[in-house]
Amino acid sequence: MTATNGSRPLEGIRVADFSWFGVGPIAARTLADFGADVIRIESEARVDGLRLGQPIKPGKTGYNVCAYFNNFNADKRSFLLNMSAEGSQEVAYRLIERSDVFLSNLTPRIFERWNLTYEQLREVKPDIIAAYMPMQGLSGPHRDFLGFGAVLTPTTGISHLSGDPDRAPVGVGTNYPDYVVNPGHTVIAILAALRHRRKTGQGQRIELAQVESVAATMGPSLLDYTANGVNQVRNGNKSSWMCPHGIYRCADDPSGRERWIAIAVGDDAQWESLRAVAEGAAFTTDDRFATLLGRRRHEDELYITLSDWTASFDAAALALQLQSVGVAAALVQDAEDMCEHDDHLAARGFYEYLDHPETDISLYDGPIVKLHETPGYLASPAPLFGQHTYEVATQVLGYSADEVAELTSSGVLS
Amino acid sequence: MTQSALDGVRILDLTSEMGWYCGKLLADLGADVIKVEPVGGDPSRGRAPFWQGIPGRETSLRFWYFNANKRSVTLDLGQFDGRWLFGELVKTADIVIESWTAAERAELAEHDVDPDAYMEAQPALIWVSITGFGLDGPRAGWEVTDIVAQAAAGIATLAGYPDGSPMRIAGNQAYAVAGISAAQGALLALLQAEATGSGQRVETSIQEALSICQETAHLQWDFQGTSRERVGESHRLPGIGTYETSDGYIFSMVGVPGFGAPWTEVIGWMDESGMAEDLTEPEYANTFANFNMRILLDEEEQAKHAPVLARAQEVLTRFYASKTTMEAYEEGQSRRLLIGQVATPSDIADSEHLAVREWWLELNQPTRLGSEDAALRYPGPPYHLSETPASIRRPAPQIGEHNQEVWVDEVGIPAEDLIAFAGEGAI
Repeated sequence: MTATNGSRPLEGIRVADFSWFGVGPIAARTLADFGADVIRIESEARVDGLRLGQPIKPGKTGYNVCAYFNNFNADKRSFLLNMSAEGSQEVAYRLIERSDVFLSNLTPRIFERWNLTYEQLREVKPDIIAAYMPMQGLSGPHRDFLGFGAVLTPTTGISHLSGDPDRAPVGVGTNYPDYVVNPGHTVIAILAALRHRRKTGQGQRIELAQVESVAATMGPSLLDYTANGVNQVRNGNKSSWMCPHGIYRCADDPSGRERWIAIAVGDDAQWESLRAVAEGAAFTTDDRFATLLGRRRHEDELYITLSDWTASFDAAALALQLQSVGVAAALVQDAEDMCEHDDHLAARGFYEYLDHPETDISLYDGPIVKLHETPGYLASPAPLFGQHTYEVATQVLGYSADEVAELTSSGVLS
Repeated sequence: MTQSALDGVRILDLTSEMGWYCGKLLADLGADVIKVEPVGGDPSRGRAPFWQGIPGRETSLRFWYFNANKRSVTLDLGQFDGRWLFGELVKTADIVIESWTAAERAELAEHDVDPDAYMEAQPALIWVSITGFGLDGPRAGWEVTDIVAQAAAGIATLAGYPDGSPMRIAGNQAYAVAGISAAQGALLALLQAEATGSGQRVETSIQEALSICQETAHLQWDFQGTSRERVGESHRLPGIGTYETSDGYIFSMVGVPGFGAPWTEVIGWMDESGMAEDLTEPEYANTFANFNMRILLDEEEQAKHAPVLARAQEVLTRFYASKTTMEAYEEGQSRRLLIGQVATPSDIADSEHLAVREWWLELNQPTRLGSEDAALRYPGPPYHLSETPASIRRPAPQIGEHNQEVWVDEVGIPAEDLIAFAGEGAI
């Protein structure tokens, strides 16, 4: 997709991206999608773990072939700067001087060691917007605790509240908060700070303590405890008011793949629509389920008998049929469904396929939100490791070719 | 006086529960957000949990949490005068946010409530639509709820017990993600509009925004043609997964190279507590001294070490079970081991760390249950902006609480006209 009308909102904004792994680079990718020049600082001494992760392009090795890294770093420039080398700080500061936004999800111990605190950056660039994303914040007794998404879901209450009440908490299967909640909140704070800077000329420090950012999405459960003393427990796929509400087994596909459907019935009209679709099924004539209260009192029985009915259906076809009568339902999609069979996503062109020098045509997530006149888009695939070191050093930082050679031989650049 | 990042930005918020968080994020950063509710109130006001467990449209803690800082006016978009009033209000706004279903959108269009028409009259206006599946495409008309979105976005299939059904992630995360996506879009469009004078439509598809949380599942399919499956916390390897403690659970992720201290630190910790059993013997020590990515990723390698790994699992499980959750969490983290407390809401409320950081806010919320306000200890913001902090300035509004001040004082409707509109039920 390309811009239809006018330039993107963040063109002219430069981001010095000292972040790594998931949460920081994902925030920076949204800024890049919408036009910012994001310079990703990397180094051979601390290679981003996602460059070494999975999945990799079959038959390929090296730093440039992991889709986990590539997806979150499209549209950026890769600049190799070894912050442990003597002389690196001057180069970092020269970049800060020429940037609008500084971004880091390093632990406080590391960015303090590298002299990248807000107070120090402000000396270099008074109106810098410096965004820090420490796990637990820049202060407090747990300041130096380590973690990432898989540790955040437990510490913020999500794990405790997800899964079956009679089984141990199971986690959510991914590093969930790393992908939208924490990077998205960070981008919101940066955009607000950019507006403030435009109005007043003033920069500022943003501190996103990742535990606070995730806990902020759990407000109602936290308030139920602080206001009512109710310590909520997990309740499977049930809702506090909708019934039936859950995920039901359908017919396996021909290859034996389990297929499931999510169904959520919000009112009596939808219940009647479901009954009409299911005409003849046992649950449709069972008096226990005639009213919302009845269905809630016998929710477990309803789950079983409704599952008996869904078991013979093709999940995708059943979802379509239920939606056609106004009942919220969807196939529980897996990656194959998302990438191959979701005609809706395909029609909207959500996934982008970019040609990368080492992974060929590869899939990337599209922008997280759609602006109709100045849409975000991916202008280039993920950078190769160090692809732009020389370009950034000379064109952005203004070093001569000789100076670059010197910085390279002293191990600052590579 | 503290400045706000979104000073002077007026937003009309017509959303249901699905879209509440967007307006909250912008209101907390200083925007003047006016909830435009149907006469009788936003139907999603009736969502649990409730203050003191008492259901009602003025007692929902969920509503309060997502609607503090907003003001409320009521109007009936089904009536001609209601639509005229809405048009007058839009003229004062910079951003409109709605989360109409396709059916509602079509019905409103028949009554000439058409985003494009407002935008034509007001070129700088930004119109944000929060939808389940987007404004176009074959499923644009589909109904959506949190669990349906999580299913359609490819994340429910990854969550849950491997021997059970796909699982919804708690906390209406589809709606949180919807709000976070839409707030980013609204702010990007605002920066653009303030620079160029041109507003635009902004569209969130919850399915798309949430699908980013598939992590690597879709990427694995693209590269390798296989779908990731639910693995739960199946204790594939010792040290990785959910463990019982003496009073709850922890999540442990130790021994992954590059993430905190190595496995030898775990053995040292157990040894100091006298609980390492035979894990200090060379057979174990050697395996764990070389605990590397190959063991983590390669099943053949794991099979080779199976007895050692199984023994370590046993000993570690006993060790964690001897600790309280807080002991395991704090002692482990002080050794730079990646351990997380499986926190309940009360654990978070009682967290000393959050208390020291002064994260919680105090807020008095009128309840209409007698004269006493509810004194709430209110979850704090997701971020701290040093110059323009997010803040809670007023409690969530009662239905139509600000009709008088908005319609008469700000839009300029004569008071006697407002009385007439109220009489016919337009407000």
